[in-house]
Amino acid sequence: MNIYYLIIKDLIRFFKDKTAVILTFVVPLVLIIIFGSIFGGNGGPRGKISIIFVNESNSMVADFIETKLDSSKSLRLVKYYSDDNEEKLFTEELAKNYVKEGKISAAIILPKDFFADTSTALKFKFYYDPKNQIESALIQGSIQQNIMTEVPRLIPILMTRKSNDFLGEMKSNEFTKSLSGLIGEYFEVSPDTIFKSITTVDTAELLSTSSDTGSAAAANPIAGMVKFESEQLVGEEITNPGLTRTIGGWAVMFLLFSLTGAANSLFEEKQEGSLKRLLCMPIRKSDILWSKYIYTMLLGIVQLFVLFFAGSIIWDVDIYSNFMNLLIVIIVSSAAAVSFGMFITSVASTLNQASGIATLLILVMSAVGGSWFPISLMPEWMQYISKFTITYWSVEAFLDVLWRQASLTDIGAHLLILISIAIVVNFYSLLRFRKGDMF
Amino acid sequence: MLKIEHISKSFNSLEALSDVGLDINRGEFFGLLGPNGAGKTTLMNIIIGYLKADKGQISIGDEIVITEDINFRKRFGYVPQEISLYQELTAYQNLKIFGSFFGLPKITLEQKIDEMLELVQLTPRKKDVVKEFSGGMKRRLNLAASILHDPEIILCDEPTVGVDPQSRNAIFEMLQELNKTGKTIIYTTHYMEEAERLCDRIAIIDNGKIIAIGTISELINILERKDTLKIQKNYDTTKKFEQLKLLGEINEFDYFYELIPGEKFIKTSALFLELEKLEIEDEYVEVSRASLEDVFLNLTGRSLRD
Repeated sequence: MNIYYLIIKDLIRFFKDKTAVILTFVVPLVLIIIFGSIFGGNGGPRGKISIIFVNESNSMVADFIETKLDSSKSLRLVKYYSDDNEEKLFTEELAKNYVKEGKISAAIILPKDFFADTSTALKFKFYYDPKNQIESALIQGSIQQNIMTEVPRLIPILMTRKSNDFLGEMKSNEFTKSLSGLIGEYFEVSPDTIFKSITTVDTAELLSTSSDTGSAAAANPIAGMVKFESEQLVGEEITNPGLTRTIGGWAVMFLLFSLTGAANSLFEEKQEGSLKRLLCMPIRKSDILWSKYIYTMLLGIVQLFVLFFAGSIIWDVDIYSNFMNLLIVIIVSSAAAVSFGMFITSVASTLNQASGIATLLILVMSAVGGSWFPISLMPEWMQYISKFTITYWSVEAFLDVLWRQASLTDIGAHLLILISIAIVVNFYSLLRFRKGDMF
Repeated sequence: MLKIEHISKSFNSLEALSDVGLDINRGEFFGLLGPNGAGKTTLMNIIIGYLKADKGQISIGDEIVITEDINFRKRFGYVPQEISLYQELTAYQNLKIFGSFFGLPKITLEQKIDEMLELVQLTPRKKDVVKEFSGGMKRRLNLAASILHDPEIILCDEPTVGVDPQSRNAIFEMLQELNKTGKTIIYTTHYMEEAERLCDRIAIIDNGKIIAIGTISELINILERKDTLKIQKNYDTTKKFEQLKLLGEINEFDYFYELIPGEKFIKTSALFLELEKLEIEDEYVEVSRASLEDVFLNLTGRSLRD
């Protein structure tokens, strides 16, 4: 019976401790939902990855490929850009610039000689920025799947072309005629009919028939008939691309944890009574809040700097080529992270409650905001939510600065959004502090 | 010197203070005696500016204390009920941090720290972290951190809670020394012994109202009956029980009779004369003096510790 009462006692104490309840049930559940939505596909359709598509060829085959890519479930073709409120088609040069500037991850070009180049059957140009390794692999895989599964339909055309290219048109014709003669004789059909059927291929008819799109294996024998010119436009010189990509995300997550903890120290000071003593001294409440804000922000700056410095020393992450901009992103991210910490402190009524809320929000923001994996893997609604997190804008800013050596102008929008978040959240926190019982 | 006029304060529907008025003289050791929840700490918090009163005003001399004006706080030294120190810092670091908010020059601050550590007898432990201190040592340092800036008025909010008798005495002596140097001290407590020992004047507070104020003798004079006698039960005294009843009201306990003197015996000495006549020897009689506890009981119908 004693054991029964002891268990009851523990249960009552457990459910009284909101933090324990949140950490035991809410946090894992929320994370499972997020992971399930991303990898399990039960969070709605995965968002399409945008890539620029430029079709400079006027061949019917190019139009066919465009239609196929348009109907892709994983890619969204961006063909137009806005110029003075006018929508214009992308050019190859502009597409390259967009990729270089980080406005988009990849561009696929169907050049003028897409179907005219006699050295090969189909010619693609692919420009990409592998700042997100998984996203990059997904784009390339999706393009190749879409294109290669359609190529078998073009085999007759491509075979004739290859034959002409290898033997010369005259010899190729002679070879085909001989072949037609042999087949005609064997099947007792006119050799001319057979010759015609081999050499005259109706492309439109060929493309309008259905194909076995699921047969990836069918693509292999004709892989050489597609010329795929890939060019990595950004990050080729980076010595440690893997860590350069991920360091920002992890740094932001730990920044949020440490700064929220530092902001929450107000609760500890309240508990131990030192806060009251300060408030009974010639000190303004605003002085206490500002000092806490500045101290926590400085702590964040130092923490991030140490993390990046360690990344530089141990894993050769290049932090010096764009150091000033990195420093600016560190400062702005810290400011935004502190405002998050102050927000938690202002809405919670106890240290335990603050810790529980903070753990939940930080893990969710890290998952949704791109600290752990690219947001392009997430369902569209989740990608939308990610834009409201400090994590997303900080991670993007760090990535831009470290990966593409982005200038201040390039990251200006990210910084402005982070500063705006910090201002709004701080303003709200101040109102909460004024009405709440912290002071 | 410190004038508190018509102070009222409510927390939602709970009226913590109601029309409180006090006039505390310069250099006075003033006690605020009342049970837990009477409103003592709320009044202290309002005086120091930690809380804002709903009504009323406080003035020091001719100056009205404006809660928002933090400079007024320099004139007060507030010793909070809790140990309000940074536990992971040393005694010296705590004093230096808290002292630095009063704008003292660096040299003066260092001198003050040394003086305070000496006063609270913690000089040998100045470099030790507070969390290693005993409860009494923490209390003493708590006091030192509050008076480092040499304030005119010291507000002590139950500064001896949870303190061993030795440290309590040390704190009393320190406060008495400070009072001798001209400091005005306002001391809240629910221990009548502390109030009786330390205070020149005492205000009794209950349910947010000041119910009595005066020196100890003035307060005891409120009582209609003051001293009582305890008369040991034995063969002689039991035989004279009927005669004893003529002297006042008698309550019978297991081992003694409690004699509450009648109205005609204003002075205890007159009562002793009557006992002499009854041939009851002095050794069987014990005088029980009236205390602030009796005053509180008389005024509220409750004990201080209820």
